[in-house]
Amino acid sequence: MLDSLRKNRTRIITLSVLAVLFFTAIQGMETRDWAITVLRGLSVGAITFLVASGLSLIFGLMDVLNLAHGELFMIGAYVGWTVYVRPDTFVDLLPPVLLLAAGLLLEPVWDALLAGWAPSRTVARGWPWAAVATGVALLAVTFARWPVAIWNPDLFAESPGSYALALDQGRLAIPPAAVFQGLSPALAMASTLLGGALFGLALAGLQRWRRGAPAGRLPWRRRLLVVLLTIVAVLVWSQNNLLTAYLFLMPSTGRFFLAMGVATVVGFILGGLIEMTLIRPLYDRPIYQIMLTLGLSFIGIEVVRTIWGRPEFTMPKAAFFNGTGPGCPATSLSDLLTFNCSTILLFDGRIRTYNEVFIILVGLIVLVAIWLLLQRTRLGMIIRAGVQDGEMVEALGINVRRVFTLVFALGVALAALGGVLAAPSIGLATEMGTRLLLLALIALAIGGLTSFPGAAAGAVLVGLLQQFIIKYGQIGINLPFLAEPFKPSPPLVPASTVLLMVIILLVLPHGLFGRKE
Amino acid sequence: MPSLLSLTDVHTFIGQFHILEGVSFDVPAGSIVALLGRNGAGKTTTLKTILGLTPPRQGRVVFDGQQIQGRRSFDIAAMGIGFVPEHRAIFRDLSVLENLRIAERRPGDFARKEELIFGLFPDLKRLIKLSGANLSGGQQQMLAVARALVPDNRLLLIDEPSEGLAPVIIEQLIAAIRQLSAQTTVVLVEQNFLVASQLAETYVIIEEGRSIHHGLMADLAKDRNMIQRYLGAA
Repeated sequence: MLDSLRKNRTRIITLSVLAVLFFTAIQGMETRDWAITVLRGLSVGAITFLVASGLSLIFGLMDVLNLAHGELFMIGAYVGWTVYVRPDTFVDLLPPVLLLAAGLLLEPVWDALLAGWAPSRTVARGWPWAAVATGVALLAVTFARWPVAIWNPDLFAESPGSYALALDQGRLAIPPAAVFQGLSPALAMASTLLGGALFGLALAGLQRWRRGAPAGRLPWRRRLLVVLLTIVAVLVWSQNNLLTAYLFLMPSTGRFFLAMGVATVVGFILGGLIEMTLIRPLYDRPIYQIMLTLGLSFIGIEVVRTIWGRPEFTMPKAAFFNGTGPGCPATSLSDLLTFNCSTILLFDGRIRTYNEVFIILVGLIVLVAIWLLLQRTRLGMIIRAGVQDGEMVEALGINVRRVFTLVFALGVALAALGGVLAAPSIGLATEMGTRLLLLALIALAIGGLTSFPGAAAGAVLVGLLQQFIIKYGQIGINLPFLAEPFKPSPPLVPASTVLLMVIILLVLPHGLFGRKE
Repeated sequence: MPSLLSLTDVHTFIGQFHILEGVSFDVPAGSIVALLGRNGAGKTTTLKTILGLTPPRQGRVVFDGQQIQGRRSFDIAAMGIGFVPEHRAIFRDLSVLENLRIAERRPGDFARKEELIFGLFPDLKRLIKLSGANLSGGQQQMLAVARALVPDNRLLLIDEPSEGLAPVIIEQLIAAIRQLSAQTTVVLVEQNFLVASQLAETYVIIEEGRSIHHGLMADLAKDRNMIQRYLGAA
């Protein structure tokens, strides 16, 4: 006990100093002000945590610093917005995406079929790329004709921003469904499936020359899944109008939770695909990884600009967080639940239900869920072991690469969830990810790069510090020897977090909860 | 006796360095084979090459009748090869129990082996809740061996088990490894010739990346000259 106290002396002193600073900061404010400031800080902390935790898991397990994480956060926000404000686009896009996925999932089937084939080295290296090229060509032709409502030029007159406004004011008309023109639906769907299958074939081929031919086993479950996905795709396509109407007319709260779910799933799939195709060949070349993820972040921004256009727009809050009834601002839980108040009365001040309660709640749930995953499941055990020594985990007979893919996908899913969660409070902009990535990196440096509790603590610290500086910018700090109260100017807000990082790294080079490697 | 493992003219590169320049030997099923040689001769790389952690560029590795060179490490390990690495590689953030559980290949592996493991290393039983970071060197070594016993391994690759341990603990380990060899085959890398000679029936000497000599341990123990020449110690 004494021994561990001595070993952690610097850490304990640092934490105590932080605690003293926190209480001093509180002393300078009225109860109402500091309670609100703390809640706002926790809210920013929760969003930062969703990005930082994924970054930290990915960096800890595979030493990949994913600089595209902020853009994946942003993509999560845009995907969530689309499901929430323009569900017709979501319904239009679902069938081709499902068909592509079904085709890709055929990969192990190809693996089994190719098991006996041993072409010459040149052919083995070449044909997978030929398959990729054919697939891309096929999909380019098909997708250009695939009807997606948001891509319809006539409807572009109505910008995404005005759609959001119309939805918020409850005068949103259901846009007319898009229909195939100049291409039979059956042909379009078949060629999408074929395109996906070609990609799956290429994937199987590329893996063969990287690590030799695998044993040929026919995975029946996979085939079943492929058939299932195809059927769902056709069903969604044939019931397009019905589904669209259903989604537009369903309560906005339900649609918001659907948006959160879809963004998370899209993030998961996107993360898995990025890891399998782009990151995996570069595990031995860290510099290239950094360049790759940096490049991906720029591509991500441009792709989003191409699809959704440049202007910033808002995402209306769901009805559940936006009510104004006679009982609002809510003073009790029953008020809150009856009128779905948008604000809550706290020490005579008002806090926003969505920003300062719901976001923190989701952050907490994710924190506990990941903690349980890490501490209580076999997967978590493998992740914790892999952070220290991936080679030894592999030597135990565990496929670490598959765990890498899973963790990368999970990390991106969390970032995407963070994006859709942040969208109603901070709005959508293509730069939103870059800003948050910086904040998350600072939080990680403060907490310790590979430590999960560190990611949480760092994120909360950064959020609190920001919000306290903002608040003191309004009310001013009474400093000795100064006639006027000192008011931190806005540029001090981002600077303060960097300053905190510098100080903490000077005292604890591995962060608050980091460990020497 | 049929050989469980055999290496034929194995060459391994680490980066640009040609570490193994022709290693060949057979490991008969049920025996203990000691790999001997000076520091840096390539003994550890030989073990890692068998497991595919540093895959061979040339040559054949046959385990249980199947060629395994070029397969991925987890596939090779899952065929029934346990690894006790040089620096034990105990997972610090995992408890002793978790360090054992993580080695399970099928659910219930640990429960089946619990009696055997605690029989060999009674100390581990009272440490079960401790985190891997808080174990002494000897306790870590026992845990590393125990971890390799959790799944049904037919071959154990043990690297320098006696390194840096107190004599009492070395005794305990020797007894444990000897008891194990009744059920599994062992390839042992050992600098301490006394330990190696007490355990192994046959030896392979590796010098500058080549296997240059092999034979019965009993013969080697009598040949002071050879021990002096290749191992630099008696």
